[in-house]
Amino acid sequence: MATLAHPRRDDDRELRSNIPTASNRLPGIRDYEQVDRDVIATLRPSLGWFAALGVAILCLIIGAATWTYQIHEGLGAAGYHPPVMWGVYIVTFVFWVGIGHAGTLISAILYLFRAGFRTTIYRAAEAMTVFAVMTAGLFPILHLGRPWKFFWLIPYPNWRLIWPNPKSPLVWDVFAILTYLTVSATFFYVGLIPDIAVLRDQETNPVRKRMFSVLSLGWRNSDREWRHFTRAYLFLAAFATPLVLSVHSVVSFDFAMALTPGWHATIFPPYFVAGAIFSGIGMVFTICIPLRKFFKLEHIITINDIDAAAKLCLFTSMVVGLAYLTEFQVAWMSGNAVEQEYFWNRVFGQWWWAAWIMLICNMVLPLSLFSQKLRRNTTWLFILSIFINLGMWFERFVIVIPSLSHEFEPWQWGTYAPTWVDYSILLGSFGWFFMWFLLFIRQLPVMAISEVKEIIPPKRRVHEDHSHDLDALVIDPGATMGDD
Amino acid sequence: MQGVLAAFAEIDSAVEAIQELRKKSFGDITVFTPTPRHEFEEVMEHPPSKVRRFTLAGGLLGVTFGYWIAIWISDYWPIVVGGKPVASWVPYTIIGFELMVLFGSLSTVFGMFALSRIPRLTLTVGYDPRFSHGDYGVWVVAGPDRAAEATAVLQRHGALEVRNER
Repeated sequence: MATLAHPRRDDDRELRSNIPTASNRLPGIRDYEQVDRDVIATLRPSLGWFAALGVAILCLIIGAATWTYQIHEGLGAAGYHPPVMWGVYIVTFVFWVGIGHAGTLISAILYLFRAGFRTTIYRAAEAMTVFAVMTAGLFPILHLGRPWKFFWLIPYPNWRLIWPNPKSPLVWDVFAILTYLTVSATFFYVGLIPDIAVLRDQETNPVRKRMFSVLSLGWRNSDREWRHFTRAYLFLAAFATPLVLSVHSVVSFDFAMALTPGWHATIFPPYFVAGAIFSGIGMVFTICIPLRKFFKLEHIITINDIDAAAKLCLFTSMVVGLAYLTEFQVAWMSGNAVEQEYFWNRVFGQWWWAAWIMLICNMVLPLSLFSQKLRRNTTWLFILSIFINLGMWFERFVIVIPSLSHEFEPWQWGTYAPTWVDYSILLGSFGWFFMWFLLFIRQLPVMAISEVKEIIPPKRRVHEDHSHDLDALVIDPGATMGDD
Repeated sequence: MQGVLAAFAEIDSAVEAIQELRKKSFGDITVFTPTPRHEFEEVMEHPPSKVRRFTLAGGLLGVTFGYWIAIWISDYWPIVVGGKPVASWVPYTIIGFELMVLFGSLSTVFGMFALSRIPRLTLTVGYDPRFSHGDYGVWVVAGPDRAAEATAVLQRHGALEVRNER
């Protein structure tokens, strides 16, 4: 229960680094110099980082070796049998594209909405987006019998004089995913330029200083540069916002355009977009909570920011839950026996356990976030985020496998069992993703230095009186101090 | 280029110094700030950035190219199904939209680079590493005849350091 706090003097604030005021969102930070110090401190290598990188590379090697085996043996090694010709690879492709959605949501959509809590977490989320889309992009290639021919999907003049079919959802995928990868990587890099300039100016090692000088493109923090930078950043955010919505809509068309029970539904684009954002926020928690703890960044990624992100997670979980239930209702009201049988089969048939994992992880467990105490409990949020990742992978499994294994006619009914090849490549994809992420956090700032500085009150000769901010503040000191 | 460079610890001191320099008709002033601040935008009174023109041009080019490539491919390699039109604008909107975003975004970045004059190989005169760290910098182009006047203004407003550069 919130109570009206007594006005505090400025001196008290440093003891309560999680309590923001209207004039100071990060009371644990005294000045710009501290932002540089604290964020640059995350770049020092440590034993834990080397160990994590070693594990990630090992997983990647397992995945790469398995892929080599699959190329030699053929796709049959991956457990595909008619009629189920899409399996773990497409499930994992959709999973990683989904993970890649929260980054741009947080960096672009929340930027347009001026949501303050994005500032401290968006860089990590953006990096996650770029690496997740890089991971997702591997799967359609892994799924090809002759992966070295993947570029045939791109329309380019060629001696065969043939072109891809622009009415095919798979070609739309190529355009959507490549655009998303390019734009999110561009957005990520543009945001990094001023921060790389900070690293360049602080670096003493001549080799790294040279590297940062090249990467920062000679950025000088001049008013001219900032004027064009802020405008360009706004337009990039404005472009990235509909792009986020379009990309997963296009991915959903891979299914919705097919005349297959459970797939051919108009609800698919919003259902996929909400699911993608939900899964992405789950992965943001999986990454940011250990990051915050490991690098001791609790005073920058405050519990209030985590709380706000948890509310977004709860909201998207409810949208996803509504979509699940709507699907059942549409099947029930449709009068279509095949559709009804499919949805009955989804929860009580061969794959019942996958459907129940999905429903419990994505619909039921996130309801715990109605409790403020749990939203501000980072241990619970981390555990929940693992369940969300699991649940969202199974959501895609539930969409892909039961539909293909139970189509209209009994002769189209079959089964599917992933083999060790599928699991190894799935493991390899996690290795690939985390390898890039771990390399990133040691080379470049995991937090947007210049944007964090924007929310710090600048030094002034004449101090402004902000005592009225404290008068108006409603705080529950017990709840705000309940962080780890 | 010859001028005077000053470093300020406080934002209001820097803003007041710029105001006075502008009153005294020092035309070519550059501010260095670790993070964009509205105080400087207001005092510098620059016109709106022209980046938007690059965005519009890139977006229009992209959407046109997207529809064109899809229609041209369909005409060049027609796949006739059930007597339906060979080129159908509804699915091609996806390709048009994606390429609008792609070209629009890339041309926005190109515009930002061109207008900000980056990449540059050297940091040129009038820059100090502390301007990315915590201090504000004011660089005024001033010949030998006006350098002393500019220095006096900057010092009066509490500059941490003032130096002549060329």
